[in-house]
Amino acid sequence: MSWKNIKLIFIKELVGTIRDKRTIIAMIIIPLIFYPLLFAGIGYFSKVGSIKSEEATSKIIIHGAEFAPQLVKHLQDYEKIEILIIEDDSPNKLQNGNIQAVLVIPSDFKYKIEQEEPNKLILKYDATEAKSRIAQKRVNQIIEEYKSEIILQRLSRLGLQEEFLTPLILQEENIATAEKITGSFLAVLLPYLIIILIFTGAMHTAVDITAGEKERGTIATLLVSQISRLEIVLGKCFAVMLISFTSMVLGLFGLTLAFLSGASIAGGVEGVQFGISVNTVFLLFLVLFPLVGLASAVLVMVGIFARNIREASSYITPIYMLTIFLGIISISQGMELTGKMFLVPVLNSSFVFKELLMGKIYWNHIITTFSANMIIAGLALLGATRLFTKEEVLFRS
Amino acid sequence: MIQVEGLTKVFHDKKRGKVVAVNNLKFNCGKGQIFGLLGPNGAGKTTTLRILATMMLPTKGKIIVNGFNLVEEPREVRKQIGFLSSETGLYDRFTPRETVEFFGRINGMEDKVIKKRTAEIFHNLDMENFQDVRVNKLSTGMKQKLSIARSIIHNPPVLILDEPTVGLDIITAKTVIEYVKSFRDQGKCIIYSTHIMREAEKLCDMIAIIHQGNLITQGTLEELKKNSSFDDLEEIFFELINQGENLE
Repeated sequence: MSWKNIKLIFIKELVGTIRDKRTIIAMIIIPLIFYPLLFAGIGYFSKVGSIKSEEATSKIIIHGAEFAPQLVKHLQDYEKIEILIIEDDSPNKLQNGNIQAVLVIPSDFKYKIEQEEPNKLILKYDATEAKSRIAQKRVNQIIEEYKSEIILQRLSRLGLQEEFLTPLILQEENIATAEKITGSFLAVLLPYLIIILIFTGAMHTAVDITAGEKERGTIATLLVSQISRLEIVLGKCFAVMLISFTSMVLGLFGLTLAFLSGASIAGGVEGVQFGISVNTVFLLFLVLFPLVGLASAVLVMVGIFARNIREASSYITPIYMLTIFLGIISISQGMELTGKMFLVPVLNSSFVFKELLMGKIYWNHIITTFSANMIIAGLALLGATRLFTKEEVLFRS
Repeated sequence: MIQVEGLTKVFHDKKRGKVVAVNNLKFNCGKGQIFGLLGPNGAGKTTTLRILATMMLPTKGKIIVNGFNLVEEPREVRKQIGFLSSETGLYDRFTPRETVEFFGRINGMEDKVIKKRTAEIFHNLDMENFQDVRVNKLSTGMKQKLSIARSIIHNPPVLILDEPTVGLDIITAKTVIEYVKSFRDQGKCIIYSTHIMREAEKLCDMIAIIHQGNLITQGTLEELKKNSSFDDLEEIFFELINQGENLE
């Protein structure tokens, strides 16, 4: 085996991939330009939408306004509430969006207040409409204020202070480190994103330089050269690994940009502190490396087996679905892996990522994951090389 | 330069069972000679050439290429051969210069030698004006010239050409034939498969006709004519093919 030959194939595949417009679109334009623009757009429009809803006056119908004049006055005093005294078919109006809420005051309201009995008010609103939810919030706030006023009056009648109602105060202090806060915030989604980005990054190149070479008839020219089958497979696999890794890094960078741009437009991202130690980054890479190798080797093997790009894509679809499935399992809150489950590729990396991002370092998990994925990647490489020597695979028609 | 003895290739097909693609072929091709392999589609030409190019292993038989045993020393054999077929594509995203340099490198050549040889070939094949244009922008004729350049960059003494004029227009095909002749003049040993009789008549010093994997006859054009009632290679070909089918 000659590293010089492997390097020749590696560089040839890299140059070919980089010169492919589709790679540039998938690797650079989509994550670095499209994602941030998309999220910024979503952030902008949701902000515009929420500002509009917040600024709009809520139109409310009150049934039985005459039974609680003081409460109605409170509502009337609120500048963003407009009270309509209409006695017609209000549920329809609510459904049509002409009004945002209907408040029903019982006829014995005043009597029950005097008797110090609970009063039941009914507020009808449409939870699927943003404006109606805002009206509900506003009415609720005013009623809470009015309730507090009544309570204070009752307390003073009994000669009691407001503190009478608050015998205990619980002060909460969060002792989580910045790393842990960042981790728990990232640990939920990041492993899933990393896995998906690694596989999607590897897919196109892996298929193009294996099944694509067969389809275009360029593979025969490599087979009659001085380069051995193992060197060809290794060169191709290393190229896929680098493309996959770069796509993942650019993808994550693009998504971070997208998240920050979208969130800052929609209302800021304060409170998210970023703090990951160098150690954690090193361990993350240690787990990442065999996963990238595994994805590349498996996809190259499938690409070599397939007759053409189309066939390769149909073989890769179930593998991709399985990866998404394992990724989704890892997102599930409260899911814990037991010892042997760290032998399951993809799932194991995802859980170790999660642990590392939470600031937990379990060496047995890291070593099992690293070894299991390295062994499977190695087997897939061997399989790919074996397939590459099989005449019935290379010359299938 | 090439000695083939008892070359047999058997495939195992799920539907058809055992398929004998090439059966007990025997031929020789010397220095400065063009050996033509003629046969209809499915005769076993491509399989024979794939074996000679070390892409496939023979089921049986002994093949010596420029002194090297094909089964035992495939890597040495690859140094001796340049392979060109209608199915050997080119990398669309590379220029002719990059393509030829790449093939020089994967054939173990030094960069200095590659540069010198590339310039020489591009000059001889009249490729200098498009040497830095990407392959996807080239015409079919230009591509075929590049395919030839790619297969001879390492100056192999043996050329294996599988229907190199298929799909080419008449002018490009003529150019290719001229190059093949010039390679013979340089003393190369050339195995040339075709189903175009005129090409075989014009080019080949020796002609072998194969049908359904079997070698029906071989000899010079004159010898073939002498043993036949016809004077035209196409007629001789049909006569022999029909005889072969009647024998079965």
